Amino acid sequence: MTRLLGAEIRKLWTIWSTYVLFGIVVVIDLAFGFGLALAPGGRHGGSAGVVPHGSSQWFINVFSVLDVSRILALVLGAIIITGEYRHKTVTPTFLAEPRRGRVVTAKLGISFGSGVVLGALTMVTGLVLGFVLVAMKVHSCLTPLGVSQGMSQALCGVRHGVYYVATTHNMWHDWSRIAPGVVLGTGLFAIYGLGLGALLKNQIVAIVVGLVFTLVVEAIVGAIWPTIGEYLPGQAATALEDAARTNFGGTTQLLPWWGGACMLLIYGIALAFLGTFTTLRSDVT
Amino acid sequence: MATIQARGLTKRFGGEVLAVDHLDFDAVPGGVTGFLGPNGAGKTTTLRMLLGLVTPTSGSVLIDGHRYRDLPNPTMRVGAVLEASGFHPARTARNHLKLTATVAGLPFRRVDECLDLVGLSEAADRSVGGFSMGMRQRLELARAMLGKPDVLVLDEPANGLDPQGIAWLRDFLRVYASEGASDRGGKRIVIVSSHLLSEAQLIVDDVIVLTGGRLAAQGRLQDLLAGSKRSVRVQTPDAERLVQALRAASLPAVVRDGYVVCDGATPQAVGPIMVENRIEVHEMVSSTESLESLFFALTGGEGMQVGHGVASTGDYRRFDDGPAASPSVGPIGGQA
Ligand SMILES: Nc1ncnc2c1ncn2[C@@H]1O[C@H](COP(=O)(O)OP(=O)(O)OP(=O)(O)O)[C@@H](O)[C@H]1O
Ligand SMILES: [Mg+2]
Repeated sequence: MTRLLGAEIRKLWTIWSTYVLFGIVVVIDLAFGFGLALAPGGRHGGSAGVVPHGSSQWFINVFSVLDVSRILALVLGAIIITGEYRHKTVTPTFLAEPRRGRVVTAKLGISFGSGVVLGALTMVTGLVLGFVLVAMKVHSCLTPLGVSQGMSQALCGVRHGVYYVATTHNMWHDWSRIAPGVVLGTGLFAIYGLGLGALLKNQIVAIVVGLVFTLVVEAIVGAIWPTIGEYLPGQAATALEDAARTNFGGTTQLLPWWGGACMLLIYGIALAFLGTFTTLRSDVT
Repeated sequence: MATIQARGLTKRFGGEVLAVDHLDFDAVPGGVTGFLGPNGAGKTTTLRMLLGLVTPTSGSVLIDGHRYRDLPNPTMRVGAVLEASGFHPARTARNHLKLTATVAGLPFRRVDECLDLVGLSEAADRSVGGFSMGMRQRLELARAMLGKPDVLVLDEPANGLDPQGIAWLRDFLRVYASEGASDRGGKRIVIVSSHLLSEAQLIVDDVIVLTGGRLAAQGRLQDLLAGSKRSVRVQTPDAERLVQALRAASLPAVVRDGYVVCDGATPQAVGPIMVENRIEVHEMVSSTESLESLFFALTGGEGMQVGHGVASTGDYRRFDDGPAASPSVGPIGGQA
């Protein structure tokens, strides 16, 4: 199994599409983070109204958009298995390890691992984002006052120093509240993506089904039958994030975090299992 | 010593296409076994069943009594070069091989050795997407050779190879088959499917001929050819005398196109007669039936029908069209 895992890791880092996917994650995180933070009118306050910059609630709002990365974790998981069919590399893969269940198990492990890496990358990006936002605010505070007035400039410096310390403290606090949920969520979502891929086999179909289900179907079901909605993968992943409960007025109904984790794991493994016994058992010609 | 046994091997695709139909065969070590048959005969399907990629509908094909998927580390026992095997276009040749080497627990030194063996060392760090067909075929062979397997299975390995490559492959397979697998004290099994009959004739010792998913013939090529027509052709200024001498020895000689032709004779029979009669010889050719004509005899009528020549107007016709009534265009043109 160690050898299989080793080969699966190598498969990922020997093609550039993996790096592109990770790059896209960073770009999307930055776009969403800045977009939300800099949106005019304090819309990011949700039902709580306008939230002051640098407050704890403000950081929670900014960081909690980072869970969009789980969509890309789903894509990554799906690619890990459907890519083999797309490029017909299943033939050498199954020649080297004809026990297909073992191959899928190794892929489950690697999906989780790379999903976690993707989540970690997201949260590091979030940290950079937070520092940049704080620095921008401090800088914009400084400029209008800083016109060679000795005393007031020093005062301003102290004021902004205090502001900087206070806000970065908020930032660290909220970041550490959000990070575990996002990282676990991306890891589990990658498993879910792998399961979809194992069942559907076709790369485009698996990705489209995964995205449409997560972004459209779940939203509709969640709105009409919240009790069913909370058991669906997207909501289950949201449940992992402690912060989500306090965010946006807590409008959605969610499972406890461990319940969300279990649901996601069940989705991923059940789909992969089904896939192994249907698609993956079929002939490779 | 490795053995491969197929018993009652059957594969039906989607309930209707009977690709392989109750096939029994044995492949024996120590020589190259040719796996021959027309398009759609079931060669690829059979080889893929042997390799655990396709599940038989019924029957079995076993390597040393085991199914492929029950072999603990199959890379070390069986190497395979397959037609539709894939490569990730962005991955380099070296990394492609490292994947199999990793799963098999082989040192990466072996990857370099195999790349060198097939002449791809120079291209090792180029991505496979830019490889020519022949280069991909070589890379497949390198992958098959990673574990120094004592069973080597090749489906149309000559596809895309240049003449040097084909000649090299021929020698390689012959030597590889006759070498012992040192650690097992036995000889190796090499199975090659091919359409290039003249090429196959040069390398195969045994043949298994399939048509329509069934076994048409199996055995040593020599034996199969021995039962067929042979003849001796001699060029000599003394044609008349030779014909009389041969007829006196009750060999049916005739003069044809300036040569003395003696059907059903062997050089061993004709030679002494010429020496005895002190007949000057300029050329003597002994011909046996070729693998090609044997193949047509065995598979004739079955498989996909080929059109009977090209119409005099120069139009191409579909393989399976009857005689063309009006000018039509071949498979790709689609103007019919
Ligand atoms: N995946 C599949 N689904 C349905 N039919 C298939 C499949 N694979 C092969 N067949 C059919 O099985 C038969 C045997 O095909 P196979 O590829 O084994 O022939 P072959 O002897 O390798 O031919 P060729 O010389 O053209 O390579 C053909 O009729 C083919 O159409
Ligand atoms: Mg074939």
